[in-house]
Amino acid sequence: MTLYEGKPKQNYVVTGVYVEEAITRRLQALGVNDGTTVYIANRSKKGAMVIKVRGTRLAIGKHIASMIEVSDPLEQK
Amino acid sequence: MINSDIVKTDTERINTRKIKRKDNHIHVAFVGNPNCGKTTLFNALTGSKLKVANWPGVTVEKKEGSCIYDGFEVTLVDTPGIYSLTSYTIEEKITRQCVLDDDVEVIVNVVDASSLERNLYLTLQLLEIGKPVVLALNMMDIVEETGIELDLHRLPELLGDIPVVPVSAAKRSGMDILLHAVVHHYEEGPQNPVILYSGEIEEKIEKLEIMMQAHYPKHSSPRWHAIKLLEYDEDVREEHPIHITNIADKNYEKDIIQSKYRYIENVIKEVVFHKEKKVAFTDKVDRILIHPIWGVPVFFLIMTFVFFLTFTVGDFLKSYFEFGVSFFSNIVSSICTSAGVSPWLISLLVNGIIAGVGGILTFVPNIAILFLALALLEDSGYMSRVAYIMDKIMGKVGLSGKAFLPMILGFGCTVPAIMATRALESEKDRRKTMVLTPFMSCSAKLPIYVLFSGIFFKNYATLVAMSMYVIGMLLAIVVAFLMNKFQKGSENDSLLIELPEYKRPNARTIRIYVMTKLKDFLIRAGTTIFIASIIIWFLLNFGAKGMVTNPGDSFGAFIGKLMVPLLAPAGLGMWQIGVALLSGITAKEIVVSSMNVLFGVTTSVNMAGAASGVGTIADRIHAFNPGFGPLNAYSMMLFCLLYIPCVASIVTIQKESHFRMFTFKVLCFQMIIAWLVSVIFFQTGTFLLGN
Repeated sequence: MTLYEGKPKQNYVVTGVYVEEAITRRLQALGVNDGTTVYIANRSKKGAMVIKVRGTRLAIGKHIASMIEVSDPLEQK
Repeated sequence: MINSDIVKTDTERINTRKIKRKDNHIHVAFVGNPNCGKTTLFNALTGSKLKVANWPGVTVEKKEGSCIYDGFEVTLVDTPGIYSLTSYTIEEKITRQCVLDDDVEVIVNVVDASSLERNLYLTLQLLEIGKPVVLALNMMDIVEETGIELDLHRLPELLGDIPVVPVSAAKRSGMDILLHAVVHHYEEGPQNPVILYSGEIEEKIEKLEIMMQAHYPKHSSPRWHAIKLLEYDEDVREEHPIHITNIADKNYEKDIIQSKYRYIENVIKEVVFHKEKKVAFTDKVDRILIHPIWGVPVFFLIMTFVFFLTFTVGDFLKSYFEFGVSFFSNIVSSICTSAGVSPWLISLLVNGIIAGVGGILTFVPNIAILFLALALLEDSGYMSRVAYIMDKIMGKVGLSGKAFLPMILGFGCTVPAIMATRALESEKDRRKTMVLTPFMSCSAKLPIYVLFSGIFFKNYATLVAMSMYVIGMLLAIVVAFLMNKFQKGSENDSLLIELPEYKRPNARTIRIYVMTKLKDFLIRAGTTIFIASIIIWFLLNFGAKGMVTNPGDSFGAFIGKLMVPLLAPAGLGMWQIGVALLSGITAKEIVVSSMNVLFGVTTSVNMAGAASGVGTIADRIHAFNPGFGPLNAYSMMLFCLLYIPCVASIVTIQKESHFRMFTFKVLCFQMIIAWLVSVIFFQTGTFLLGN
């Protein structure tokens, strides 16, 4: 599933970042890598979301969120 | 001890310099993530007054300053905040170039201790350069408040024994210790690599380092460059065109980043201790301010409140300033008259300079309140949130929410707002935002609205003035929408911005912010507006035949009359308005000051009382053109809202876009929009009112 499909107040683990080169690197510099846990703190319907990652809050747009692959926490259980 | 002045006598200084030569002069660069407090620290050490606020991307240029510590002359360089030493954004390019510059001897890595994990990523990269690094742990007070403890003994051990100094830039504590570390560490020099990558990568780094040393024997940081070569860094590859394809057979960037973060995770495990879990204050506030539904209404409510204060409280205080100016004007004219000064000089002083400059000075309260409100917004941490909540609306017109930040700054002044577009990733978005920013009424347009709405709309003045801001924003969105339509197929940038912790606005920061803006305003009043007032007075009192008694024969009238046919359809067919609008291009306040001068002169027989009293201007406009009513006034305000920005903004647009044609197009576009909107408004209005 993608991060964009994620629900608020949930933890997800990043399994892949597939955005444009420049944004991917920026995300990686911000600490969003494979294996990183992100927490969706806030999200607007069909729009941007606020995630908590490595102790900081990031606002990311729909486009980026829908290109970040995360593992579904329900499937893991 | 820090002395902003040099304590030693000149001869002593020259002597020590002779002995130590370069040694007593240290070049230090402040590097760190955006919004970690570099500029606050820089201001505290150098006594500078650079702008500080609580959102990422305030500093977009590098700035130098200096201080004296322990006999050392320390030159400090403040750099734009970066997350990584790559070179994708303008900020990254500036900072990276500065850090790698051979002049910079010590790097002070300013780190926001409350988000240590993310900040250390840059630290690890800086360490690889091989220059001495001092870690300044900022915001320790916030860390303690959130119930976190840091092991300050273990941290330096894990970072190659670099000095780690806890500081509070806002409270100005730890400054001496930091400078001591800088001076001391500078003498010590660099140390070994902190982080080792996987065997495969290390092998390649080693090979590349050997190659680097063979090709560039004097290279100062071969390891860093070797790593950058493995990351396929374009700039480093271009600068070092050595054949490496057999070694750097693929882009190792991802692996290198992952190794760094793995290392950091371990550091965090060993250094950070959570004493208690508190629901952070920021999260509580965010429940309301970035609420999926209420976020946008709350933002508009806040902005309405800001402008409401600006107009109501500002106007209340303004009446005292007006009284002061007219009092001063009367005194000057009576003193001059009794001293037998020639009438033309009195006219220049009273009707020209005092009316023009004094008239604009009465707006100090409005402008001070507006900037105070903007300073509070910027320093609280709310700005980034605005980018988030506006992302959806901006997305509909093909921009990211981040583009909204320069637009908000545009309410203050267009020049820094256009500079702030640097934070946007793509050139396309930057240009687009530059076109939109002037639609946000800057503080210089505020006096125009206050003047006209005050005269023609009396009880509804505040509402009418505020409508200008709403119209400006709406038009910006419509224009963005149309631009998006015509630029089909272009993918718009997605939002990516850090949301900082909320904090109580710092009194010093706010004071510096407001005082700097007011000072700018006063300097403008004393220079541009002063000169413009004299020129306009001259244009009105002199004609082809020398000094004229009827302003209708003056040079000014001649120039203004040329514009009348163009302005008439907008209900602005008065030569005085033509002159005012033309002069307003130098600075928007001049529209008001020239209105004061223009309508002070039309009945130039009466010298005294020609100051900026609103009533007198109204009477004189009516005396000249009885038909000039609210409809015309509103049309005038619309035109001023939309027509080309001031010279300073035009120059900034040109400088930031690097493209003359673009600037020219923007200017034409704005001229046309202003004309169309005011003409359509006036004609429809006249038709509806049945005149």
